Amino acid sequence: MMNKRFDPIEGRNAEIIESVMNTAEVSSLPEDLQFKIRLCVEEVEENILCYSGSKWVEVTVAIVDGMLHICFKDGGIEFDPLAKPDPDINAPIEMRQVGGLGIFICKQMMDSLNYHFENDCNVFEMCKKIQ
Amino acid sequence: MDVTITKTENKTIVTLVGRLDTTNADKFQQDIAPLFEEANPDIELDCTDMDYTSSQGLRIFLMLQKSVSSKGGSMVMSNMKPQVKEIFDITGFSNIIRIL
Repeated sequence: MMNKRFDPIEGRNAEIIESVMNTAEVSSLPEDLQFKIRLCVEEVEENILCYSGSKWVEVTVAIVDGMLHICFKDGGIEFDPLAKPDPDINAPIEMRQVGGLGIFICKQMMDSLNYHFENDCNVFEMCKKIQ
Repeated sequence: MDVTITKTENKTIVTLVGRLDTTNADKFQQDIAPLFEEANPDIELDCTDMDYTSSQGLRIFLMLQKSVSSKGGSMVMSNMKPQVKEIFDITGFSNIIRIL
C-alpha cells in the first residue's frame, strides 16, 4: 500500500505518476492494465492541477478484495469532476470541443469513480477490478 | 515525443516516436505548428512508434484535424498500436480522424 503526500504538486506530474506505477500493487499488473492506470492517473492529476488549485495532493494506492483503489485527496476549491456532462463522442468534428476528455477516459477505463468533498478536501477515488 | 516532418512533392509525412503526455504536449504542439500553416494539407501521421497519448495529445490531434478539414485537406493516422487506438475509439476520435 502507498500513501504519499506531494507538496507542492506544481511540475511534479511525472513524479506522481511514476510513484503510483512503481507501487507493488500496480507494477505487478499486466501491461495493458498498467497502460490504462497510467493514463487515468495522468488525467486525474491534470484535472486537479487545472481546476482545484490545490498546492498539494495525497495519493493512496491499495488493493482491497481484488479491486485496485487509487485515491487522490487535495485541498483545493470544491470541484466535482463527475458533475461535468460527458462530451458528445458522436458529434461531428465541427461540434467537437477541444478538451473535456480526461475524466471521460477514466470513466471508460476504470470500473468505478467516486467523488466527495470532506473536511475541506476534494476526495476522488477510482477503482479497477484486477482479479 | 520525437517528431520528424518530411515533405514530399504532394504529401507531408509526420513520424511520431514515444509518449505524448502532459509533460511534452506543449512542445509537441510547437513541433507540429508548421502543419497548421499548410495551404493544401495532405498529412500522414505515422504512429508506428507512438506508445501513448493522454487527452492532452488528443486535444492537439483534434485541433490539427479541424485545421485540415477547414481547408478541405486530408489527414490520416497510420499504424497505430492497439492500446493507443483504443483511446481514439472510446473517445469517438476514430469517427472524426481517419485511422489506417
